[in-house]
Amino acid sequence: MSLQVGAPATDRQAVNFLWPALLALVAALPMGWALWAALVQMADVSAWQALWADPQTWRAWGMTLWTGLASTWLVWWSVARLLAHGFIRQKLAKWLPHVPALLATPHAAMAIGLVLWLSPSGWALRWVSPGLTGFEAPPPWPTTQDPWGLGLILALWLKELPFLLWVAATQMQREDLRRRWQAEYAVAQTLGHTPMQAFAQVVWPQLAPRLRWPLLAVLAYGLTVVDMALIIGPASPPTLAVLAWQWLGDADLALQAKGVAAAGLLTASMAVLALGAVAVLRVGLPWPGRMSWIWSAVGVACFMAYGAVWFALAVGSVSGVWPFPQVWPSLWTGDAWAQVMTSARTVWTTLGLAVASASLCLVWSMAWLESASHRWQQLLRPAWLLPLVLPSVLWVLGLYSLALQWRQEGQWLGLCLAHAVMVLPYVLLALEPAYRAVDPRQAAVVASLGHGRWRYLVRIKWPLLKRAIASAWAVGFAVSVAQYLPTLYVGAGRFATVTTEAVTLAAGGQRTLMSAYAVLQMFLPLLAFAVAAALGRPRQFEKIGTMKDRT
Amino acid sequence: MASLISITRRRALGLFAATAVCPVQAATPIPATWADTLRTARGQTVYFNAWAGSERINAYLQWAAGELQRDFGVKLQHVKISDAADVVKRVRTEKQAGRKDNEGTVDLIWINGENFAAMKREGLLSAPFAKTLPHFQWVDTVGKPTTLVDFSVPTEGLESPWGMAQLTFLADRQRLPKPPQSMAELLALARTQPGRITYPRPPEFHGTTFMKQALLEHAPDVKALAQPVTPEALQLQAAPLWRFLDALHPHLWRGGKQFPQNSAAVRQMMADGELLLALTFNPNEAANEIAAKRLPATVYSWQFAKGTIGNTHFVAIPYNAPSKAAAQVVANFLLSPAAQARKADIDVWGDPTVLDVARLPAAERALFQSAPRAGQLVQSSPALPEPHASWVDALEKEWVRRYGV
Repeated sequence: MSLQVGAPATDRQAVNFLWPALLALVAALPMGWALWAALVQMADVSAWQALWADPQTWRAWGMTLWTGLASTWLVWWSVARLLAHGFIRQKLAKWLPHVPALLATPHAAMAIGLVLWLSPSGWALRWVSPGLTGFEAPPPWPTTQDPWGLGLILALWLKELPFLLWVAATQMQREDLRRRWQAEYAVAQTLGHTPMQAFAQVVWPQLAPRLRWPLLAVLAYGLTVVDMALIIGPASPPTLAVLAWQWLGDADLALQAKGVAAAGLLTASMAVLALGAVAVLRVGLPWPGRMSWIWSAVGVACFMAYGAVWFALAVGSVSGVWPFPQVWPSLWTGDAWAQVMTSARTVWTTLGLAVASASLCLVWSMAWLESASHRWQQLLRPAWLLPLVLPSVLWVLGLYSLALQWRQEGQWLGLCLAHAVMVLPYVLLALEPAYRAVDPRQAAVVASLGHGRWRYLVRIKWPLLKRAIASAWAVGFAVSVAQYLPTLYVGAGRFATVTTEAVTLAAGGQRTLMSAYAVLQMFLPLLAFAVAAALGRPRQFEKIGTMKDRT
Repeated sequence: MASLISITRRRALGLFAATAVCPVQAATPIPATWADTLRTARGQTVYFNAWAGSERINAYLQWAAGELQRDFGVKLQHVKISDAADVVKRVRTEKQAGRKDNEGTVDLIWINGENFAAMKREGLLSAPFAKTLPHFQWVDTVGKPTTLVDFSVPTEGLESPWGMAQLTFLADRQRLPKPPQSMAELLALARTQPGRITYPRPPEFHGTTFMKQALLEHAPDVKALAQPVTPEALQLQAAPLWRFLDALHPHLWRGGKQFPQNSAAVRQMMADGELLLALTFNPNEAANEIAAKRLPATVYSWQFAKGTIGNTHFVAIPYNAPSKAAAQVVANFLLSPAAQARKADIDVWGDPTVLDVARLPAAERALFQSAPRAGQLVQSSPALPEPHASWVDALEKEWVRRYGV
């Protein structure tokens, strides 16, 4: 203690500077390298000319902007309403444990499940055909792959809603904010505001800015999604992300360059829209004066839609011949599940990579949030979150050339680091709000009692943050499990994970296999969320505390 | 230490296997260099990057891995990929990073068409090897000229043929008793059953093939298609194609305004009853799908009477493959009558052989006989050669301009 006090101020500053600088370097080096490799590829004038000369570009770009913005707006709007509902009726704590199951549903699985219900030969019509409709064959209705992108918007809305809801709800479940907002909300109501007005004017303006980055992640996802767009999105033309993916996937160098340019256009669109989205956050939302029953219906409908999708996937995974308008398949088959069983060993590779990369990112994030000053954090946050908003195909090519430079291709360590780059932004995003919310006065109290910083961290701060830390780790785990291209490229195909198995088999377009593998893909993230929920349980004395609160 | 032990064990296994020489090799004089290849290959691992979208194909490769390990001491590792272009990109990036001759991550790749053309053009492949493979002598290079010319690009021994593909249609007999035998008949069918026919959106492989098939049937001078495309040739030869598509599209699924993304989607819609017919490149796909209970036994396959477009798929060795010798051993094994017969068996995979079965010794020929299956192609038609590769891009561009937006 005396040593610290006696140390010259400049020394302490040097130490304060050294750690964050080192941490920043460790993360920035691979990311900067990969990014640079990606940017270099974008600087090809002829590719940009080819992109603008392509007759599909404008329409596809428009379709991308429409589906991405519409779905993001819908998600934002409905999350605000659902949160208001949950806050006013005090239902958030009841919802929260169910959300990870929704989060763990793979995107492609959601799209497949929706198609199983909504397509002209889907269940929705089978139930009522030919009895009510008279249809002996599927009608020529554009209910999926519709030219307006409505199916894609619906799928994106359903899939992104739980993500934003979950991030927001974890914020609102934070002890400090919950108490403060409840108090302020009570004050507003005392002054004669309706519950809805009170939420809209007191709680929401404080909550909304905290959701800025998660919202941008939703937007980025909506603009760059490929797998869902392929299954349920419009086809003539498809979205720009699908075109970019097709071009990037071509063996022809000129087409690939055009794909890079298209990905660059997506990135630029994302940057402009991000600024716009931030501006919209300031303006706020139109709020109804009173609570409407509609929103509990929407919440329930969302859960039910997931239930319906899982059910469709379960039946789809064992369905053989299944002609319209039969409600149930006429032939059943367990082949797909037998195949899943043979892939079971990939579970261990997946598990190892996910645990390692999520833990690595967690340690890094905690070290960073602990050591870097607020200004540094503000300054560098956009850099750490870049992998969220850039199309992953670009990252992957950069990461692969980096791995080649360091001779890490096909190596477990290299693959783990590549996963870490993709996982980091999510872990940071999940951890940061809670971490920064810790009352700094606690540290002062501990110091005044003569205890060191480590003791404070280990005994007070980290236990307090247990839930946030555990769920940030689980999110990182889930992101690592979902990685396909980084695993294939940097792993040089040496490492088979549940996702590489699922995606490569999906290339054959067998509905049964895709459905069965979706379940396998869900399994590990669900496990991680369950572990996180168990680890993040409040300690005994905290439980007593909350019980006292209630009485 | 552990790896050393395992290598010696593999060697021991290999020596044991060498005494039990397989019959085909006994009939064939093995060139001295091939014996060298076999010796070098022993103990090597081959990372075979192959499309893995079918559990049957994956199971077949698993079987091959067992055979190769037992007979040649070669470890075959199937690297499952969804698109060969990804592998081309990986090898290209490795070359750009200055990786030397044996410092790659890919030993063997399943490839054809534009991916092969790109690798050949950019020097991403190893030295020619295909014609030195002992089993290459049985390849039907006369009856199946596409075993030497891959989408009009000469293979020059840079890739070894593995299997045959030909545009084939499938439909349910209960809903389509009389199949159309040409594009003209297909148009007539579409007129009577509007909204029940479609094809995948080019540049998807099957969609482009559908367009090329229509081109072959309508072009005033088919010979011109074997030459590199010119703007004049495109205008002259493709004009009837566009007239045909203009007439066809209004009667297609979704009025020809939307097209499915791939042939799997078309097949699924056919199975669900939304479409009348589907298209595939594997003449045995219907039989496969019936066996897997995904299509009813009333589904049958056919090819147009005057022939449909056919091609060959190959395996190739990248310039920087670390296990080139073992990769050749694998390629040779895949060409063996036993492996080819097993591959052609509908219960296993159902991929037609590249060999000239009639020329094989009687014992090997017998391997290819199997009982007919439901859905199997009854009458095969002539395989028409693909137009010159340069036509693909020109046709796809023009298609997108006319119908894709």
